[in-house]
Amino acid sequence: MHDNVIDQSKDITILELLDRVLNKGVILTGDLVISVADIDLVYVGVKLMLSSVETMEQIKAGRAIIKE
Amino acid sequence: MEMMIYSILSTKGNPKNLVDLLIDIKGISEGVLSFVSFKDITAVVSAIKKNDINADRANAIIYAGIIEILTQRFTLLPVRYGSVMESTSAIIKMLERNYNEIQNNLQKVEDKWEFGLRIFCDSEKLKTELRAKSEADPQSQTIESTDSVYRDWVNRKLKEHRLEESLLTYIESIIAEIKVFLDSLNAVNKFKKMLTATTLLDAVFLLDKDQKDTSVYFIEDLQTKYPALTFVLTGPWPPYNFVEITIK
Repeated sequence: MHDNVIDQSKDITILELLDRVLNKGVILTGDLVISVADIDLVYVGVKLMLSSVETMEQIKAGRAIIKE
Repeated sequence: MEMMIYSILSTKGNPKNLVDLLIDIKGISEGVLSFVSFKDITAVVSAIKKNDINADRANAIIYAGIIEILTQRFTLLPVRYGSVMESTSAIIKMLERNYNEIQNNLQKVEDKWEFGLRIFCDSEKLKTELRAKSEADPQSQTIESTDSVYRDWVNRKLKEHRLEESLLTYIESIIAEIKVFLDSLNAVNKFKKMLTATTLLDAVFLLDKDQKDTSVYFIEDLQTKYPALTFVLTGPWPPYNFVEITIK
């Protein structure tokens, strides 16, 4: 149904996916949790921002899309 | 070896489905997926070395893919990437300690999917359109004055103000239209409007699974109605934005 727009949506879908996986969901805290302390999330954040700007430029002439 | 947690799900009535499902999936760093249960809630996990927990794009996609597969069969709470506990017994204790809160959250998202909606615009183009509309409006009056420098300045400021006002009204009307639709579906939603000059709206909403097609058609209709804007609908997602729980 939405095949004609899926290709256009890839970049933003990846961006949304990374945002969700890295920034949302259940948060575990406490002494037993090792969690994300050693992960360079700031670097990932910068990459996301850059992708976001590029994506916005690319989709200006786009259409409604959906990730299937 | 520590245990990475992918998601916490409800296995009431169908634990065998989970065993069958996990056989065919590999975790981060090719880890074998297994599960740890307390009563009818289960954490899907894989053993991992601490040094292998890289928050890179490839791992995040693998991680999201596992949650995506699980969400097709189970009601679940996605766990943020990088959540690792030292042993299965620590995970069982965590599930036991937080049982009620996990159950409450699972009930809230049962048989629901999350969707994301962003509205992008070329704000300069949109302002030009609104300016043309405003100038054609006979009610769009300017200030009369004998002092031409003062008059020009005031008129320019007045036009800028009216343009900003028109833009806000325009955005508000679209958001109101979307909200009426979501309310009609009893959808839980979160809106952030006018984030940047090019992003008018960033919204997420939680819908019953059988409301997906209705929502897609609605957004497609909006796209037709407002061709100067770009509507980007993504989903269905597991309920990442509607899990209100910090586990201790």
